[in-house]
This record gives sequence, structure tokens and C-alpha cells, in this order.
Amino acid sequence: MDKEHILETMARAIVAGERSQAQELANQAVRLGLDLLEVIEKGYAPGLKEVGELWEKGEYFLPELISSAESMKAAMAVLEPELRRARIDAPSKGKIVIGTVEGDIHDIGKNLVASMLQAHGFEVHDLGVDVKPERFIARALEVKADFLCLSALLTTTMLGQRRLVEMLRAENLDRRFRVLVGGAPVTQKWADEIGADGYAENALEAVRLAERLRERSVG
Amino acid sequence: MTWTVKILSHGRTVAVRKKQVLSDVLRQAGVPISLYCNKRGLCGKCFVEIKRGKLPPLGEKERSWLVAKGLSPNYRLSCQYEVASDLEVRVPSAFTVQEIPILPSIMRSFIRPDPAIRKYYLELRRPDIRTPESLLEILLDGLGGVRLGIQPAVLRKLEEAMAKGDSKVTAVVHREREILALEPGYTVGRSFGLAIDVGTTTLVMELVDLDSGKTLDMEAAINQQVKRGADVVSRISYCYENSEHAAELQSLVLETLNSMIGRLLARSRIDRESVYEAVIAGNTVMTHLLLEIPVRSLARAPYEAVFSRLPELHGSDLGLNIHPQAKIYFSPNIMSFVGGDIAAGLLASRLARKRGRFLFLDLGTNGEIVLRAGGRIVTSSTAAGPAFEGMNISCGLPALPGAIFKIRDEGEIRIETLGDSTPRGICGTGLIDAIAVFLARGEISRSGIVRNPARQIRIRENIVLTQEDVRQMQLACAAIKTGIRILLEQNRLSVEDLDGIYIAGAFGNYLNIENSMDIGLLPRIDKGRLNFIGNASLAGARQMLLSARERESAEKMVQAARYVSLASEPQFQERFIEALEFAPWP
Repeated sequence: MDKEHILETMARAIVAGERSQAQELANQAVRLGLDLLEVIEKGYAPGLKEVGELWEKGEYFLPELISSAESMKAAMAVLEPELRRARIDAPSKGKIVIGTVEGDIHDIGKNLVASMLQAHGFEVHDLGVDVKPERFIARALEVKADFLCLSALLTTTMLGQRRLVEMLRAENLDRRFRVLVGGAPVTQKWADEIGADGYAENALEAVRLAERLRERSVG
Repeated sequence: MTWTVKILSHGRTVAVRKKQVLSDVLRQAGVPISLYCNKRGLCGKCFVEIKRGKLPPLGEKERSWLVAKGLSPNYRLSCQYEVASDLEVRVPSAFTVQEIPILPSIMRSFIRPDPAIRKYYLELRRPDIRTPESLLEILLDGLGGVRLGIQPAVLRKLEEAMAKGDSKVTAVVHREREILALEPGYTVGRSFGLAIDVGTTTLVMELVDLDSGKTLDMEAAINQQVKRGADVVSRISYCYENSEHAAELQSLVLETLNSMIGRLLARSRIDRESVYEAVIAGNTVMTHLLLEIPVRSLARAPYEAVFSRLPELHGSDLGLNIHPQAKIYFSPNIMSFVGGDIAAGLLASRLARKRGRFLFLDLGTNGEIVLRAGGRIVTSSTAAGPAFEGMNISCGLPALPGAIFKIRDEGEIRIETLGDSTPRGICGTGLIDAIAVFLARGEISRSGIVRNPARQIRIRENIVLTQEDVRQMQLACAAIKTGIRILLEQNRLSVEDLDGIYIAGAFGNYLNIENSMDIGLLPRIDKGRLNFIGNASLAGARQMLLSARERESAEKMVQAARYVSLASEPQFQERFIEALEFAPWP
């Protein structure tokens, strides 16, 4: 198999959600001594991009999205240690602290967002569910996070998102981290109202939002 | 000494070894003789004909009842008759308690009315200047000298009632513990109660004759709280937007209930003062809101309710337009997510008494799943979202006139609407049919893709099923399916092990079984083992209204029931995602 063909197969493995194939191709790339950064950017990443397009067209739903993300993670589990060994920085797009707010124990949506962000090259610290604002802030400071992602599935627990934004402001940390909010009852209007930096409707939009904000701050 | 009692009317013969009251002998022999006044000789409802055996002299009351009821002189009150010789008796059916069906659609589910409210007609001693007793003493004496409680509000009306009735009065006694009212004249036979199902979307109420157990009439209405949010969580948030909102929500539901009561009573020509009892079954949030009890803690982990079981309240405490002293009983909540509506439904389904393994499902925004197995009851709930109620669906409609509730493919798409009116949208059962029909046609894939380029399917003018609608239905079905699977697995059971599945809730008989199995909402199971029990919550409320014993069994069941949280199972997410495919199982 030549390189072009390998890269194309990688993309297809991600689109098809073939976890073991995606991982096997990563092993193959290591054995053949391919440029691993190129493998990520030209092999796997285009696959993820196509998954996003399929999601938008309505052809992909949660099961497909998750198996693609899982396939990506499986490939990265092979590639990342190799990159570290070669002292090459894995291409991290930024650090994310994510969790479901206090009083709320829903986690499927939040897990999906975390998974997609990770698949797209973000370093993700998932604090789980029912997370107090103090814990969010402490971890964000500890890992020097770029983003705080807050999930809330109930209109009653959404208020936890506001509380965190207010706390950041009170502690003069609101410029240090960007706050992104999401969850079934959450809207752009709510995000604006509480002074969050962004809102995403679904996992893929969350990735795009984070990428966009990241570029803006880097550029 | 042994005597033989032959019960000619029932073809039974029993041996009596010691002196005993005849009514006890009859009950032990399985004859449902009426014991309305608890064997105090006050009600005249337990006459039997003594065909052979001693005939003791008639008591004063007995004699007047015999005349009034046109009975021959060899009838006696069985509760006052002591068995001390061989006997042959006949028990007329007029003096037995008729069993009444609880769920019309399930045979063999009958209860024997045993109401908490009893009425006694009394001809009291007239007050005498030589022995100036209090009116209450005279009344209590007339009631057989028992000690009974009485509220000041009732005392205030004692003198008026006795004077108006010229000492001929009817006492209304609750559970042989408290005098609820005293009415002039003879009003026995006029005691009524209400069974009320307070649903998030609809309110249903039955007017019940407490003595016969018969339902006289019923009313249904939309819970006006829907104006302030479709589901319980949005109602809770509404409550906390403004300090006046909780009171507003309470009055919205209360006003509707009172207008329903008004219509029911007017149609049956019954005055509100003759309604002495109401049993209310509703989910935890609905019952809290009805009592204007703070609901904040119900909407955030760990989801605490303020109350689960309540002692009886008075009609005036709640503001229901029935007798001010009427007793209001709330069906007990099992857990924050599994409310009194489910407890009532379980009671009506007789699940706690069944041997074998059964599932009980209530499909709504919150899907409740209850497993009866190994002598235990395990409850759980799973968030299906409001799709089954037609919410969050572009063409969705609650089950109201104009809602398409059935869809069939006969070469062309055939629909049926509720009330046979012009189609305005699709309700839950219609959506389930739609998914099944278009899956079969290949217009929707098993993974949920609407295959045509427009990504929507036209059903009727202006009624289309969009890709997003199909996704919402996938989520709702997967929540139920995953809930059932995990609950069964936790108890090491499979679908094949189940003796039956009971399906309660608004879907009722409209739910198409094959379609539900085909899209994977219900497991594949022999059709004979699926039972639709409709509004089981209302049936359970009626059952509790008619029998104090049934209330006790409901409370016992609630205390013994276990709750498991499905969503906190580690495998929930993976199983949920897997379950999103529209596929029959197991």
C-alpha cells in the first residue's frame, strides 16, 4: 500500500467508524516510519471532517458520531506515544475542562462533546457530573485550561452556568478562560445573557466553536 | 359443642365450635355479607332469613327496618344474631357487598367496596329538661356509645341539624374515628367521592357512589398549567422565575379541578356537601404544585421530594369545592421520579399480588418502568423526552381532537384522527405508526435516516415528518428500550422470562403492538402477554377511594418497593447509543 492509499484508507476507517482498522492503520504508519503529523492531518482529520458533513446532512446520528470519535481516539492512542518518544509535540488545539454543572447528573451529551473535542485534537479534562463551580475553576487553573465547557440538561440547573460565569468575574478570572455552554434547554440567547463566550447546539458545533475561538486568540 | 350452619343461598355448610355472631360466621364462610356499621346494629344492611333455627325477639330498630324494607318476620340482623344452635339461613344478595371491576379491560380484577365514610341514620332522644345532656353526648350515645373525634366546624352545626331534623339525623362518620358531618333527616345512600388523576397534561376525574362503588360520571380536561410549560421541569423553573408563580400554578390546576367538579355534580344533581372524600393520584411534581409546596429540590440532584406519604387533609385545606370537612387522600409517591400515579397504577394492575414476573410500563415524558419478580417490586424511570406526547416534534400534537393517532399503509397512507376531525398534527401513537410504516417502505432507514433528498416525508397537507422528528423518536424509544434492558439484566432476567407486560398511560388501546415491536419500543413478546390497562392511575385512585384496605396495601407496597437509578449505571450510555437503531429485540 502506498502512502496516499494509506491516508485515504485512514479517512475511510474514521468515516465508517472502524475502530480496529483505524488503530491497525496507525500501527502500520509507525512501522513504515511515516510522518505521523502528516498522518493525522492528511489521513485521519479529513475523515473526521467528512463525518461532520454527514452529521449536518442528517445522515449521521449519535451512534455513527460516537463510533467515528472512538476510532479516532483508538488511532491517537497509538500515535501520541510515538510522537512523544520522538519529542514532537502532539498537535494540541487547546486544553479543555468539561463537566455537567452542579445539581445535574445527565452525562450522555457532555460525554459526546468531550469525545468529539478529544478526537479533534483538544486535550480534554472531564470532571464528570454534578460538578461544583469551585471544582471547575480549581481544575482549570491547575491545567492552565483554555476553555471551560459547561453542560446543563435542565432549565433548573442551567442557573449553574450563570453562577460559574459570575464566579469567574468575581475572581477576575473571566479573561483567563473562555466559557462555552451547552445542553438541551441552553440557547445562544442564554449564553449572551449570562456572558458566556459561546454556545454550541451539538458536539460538532462545539468543536467548530472551540477551533474558531482558538484561532482568533492565536491569530 | 358444635353446631352446623347451612347457608342455603350460597350452597355452603360450616361447623361452628363456639358461640359466635352470625355475620362473622358468614364472612368466614366467604359470604360477602355487608358489615357497613362494623356490627353495631346501626345500618340495617346485614339481614339474613332464618329458615330453620331460633328466632330471638326483634329489636326496636330491627322491627322498623323489617317494615321499611318489606321483609318477612323471620329476617334478623346477622351482626346481632348469636349462633348457639344448628341453623339454616338464606342471605339475599341485597345484603351482600357487590364486587366491582377496577379495570374494565382486565378481567378478574374486582374489589369489594369498603369505604372509609359511613352514614348512620339515627332517631335520637330529644333533649329533656330533667336530664340536660349535651347534644354531642346524645349523638355519641346514638352512635353506639363509641368515642369519636369531631372538629369545631362540625360542632358549630350540630344544634342546627338536630333542630331541623327534629332529632332525626344522619351522622357521617369517617373510619369509625371521626364525625365529619351531621345532616338533618335521612340521607343514607347519598355519599359520594371523587377519584382524581392529576396528570402533567390531562386531568381526569370520576364521581363515585361510595356505597355501591359505581362510577356515576366522569370528566376530563387539559391541565391549564400547560400554558406555563409542557413538562414538569419547565413548570418547576417557571415557579422560580417569580415569587407569585407557585400560587399561579396552584390556582390554574385547582380552578380546572373545581370546574370539573361543578359540571359533574350538576349533571348528577348532587350537592357538594354530599361529597365526603377524594383520592388524588399524580406524579410528585403535580401533587407538590397542587399543595403549593416548594419544588426546587425536585429539579436538582439528588432530587428530593418534600413529602411522599401524607395523612388525610380536609377539603377546605386544599380548596376543592366539596364538603369542607371532606377527607383528601393522596396516593403515596414511591420516589421523586416515581409518583403516586404509578403507585395507583401498580395497585390497579394487582402487580404486588401476582406470582411470576411482570413489567409495568408507563410511557410519557418520564418513562416509568417497574419490574415485579421474585416477590419484589423494583421501580425505575428513564427520561424519554416529550416526543411521545407529541412535543418537540414539528408536526406533533398531544392526544387532542385533530391529532392523527393511527397510520396505516394500504398502498396509500391511511390516517385516523381523534374526534374524526380534520388532521392538525400527529400524537404519540401516530408517530410510532408513522415510523413503522415508513421503515417498512424503506423511506426511513433502520439507523433513522430519512432517505429522500428533501429529508422529510409528507403525510398530509402541512403535516410532514422531518429528519429531526425521526431523531427525537429514536431518542425516546431508545430511552425506554435501554431502561427495560438494564432493569431486566440487573435482575438476571430476559424478556422470555416475563409472564406479562402491562402498559399504562395515555397510549391505551391506540398503541399498535406490532409497530411498537417493529421499531424496538417494546420487546418482542407473545401478544397475549401484553396488557393495555389505560389510565391505571385513575383506576387505582378509585380503588383507594372505595377501600381503606386498598390504601393500606398501596402504602405497604410503596414502602417495600425498591428504586434503581438506571442512568447512573455505567453501561447506560453505551447501551443507549446501541438502542438508537430502530430494530426489533430481543
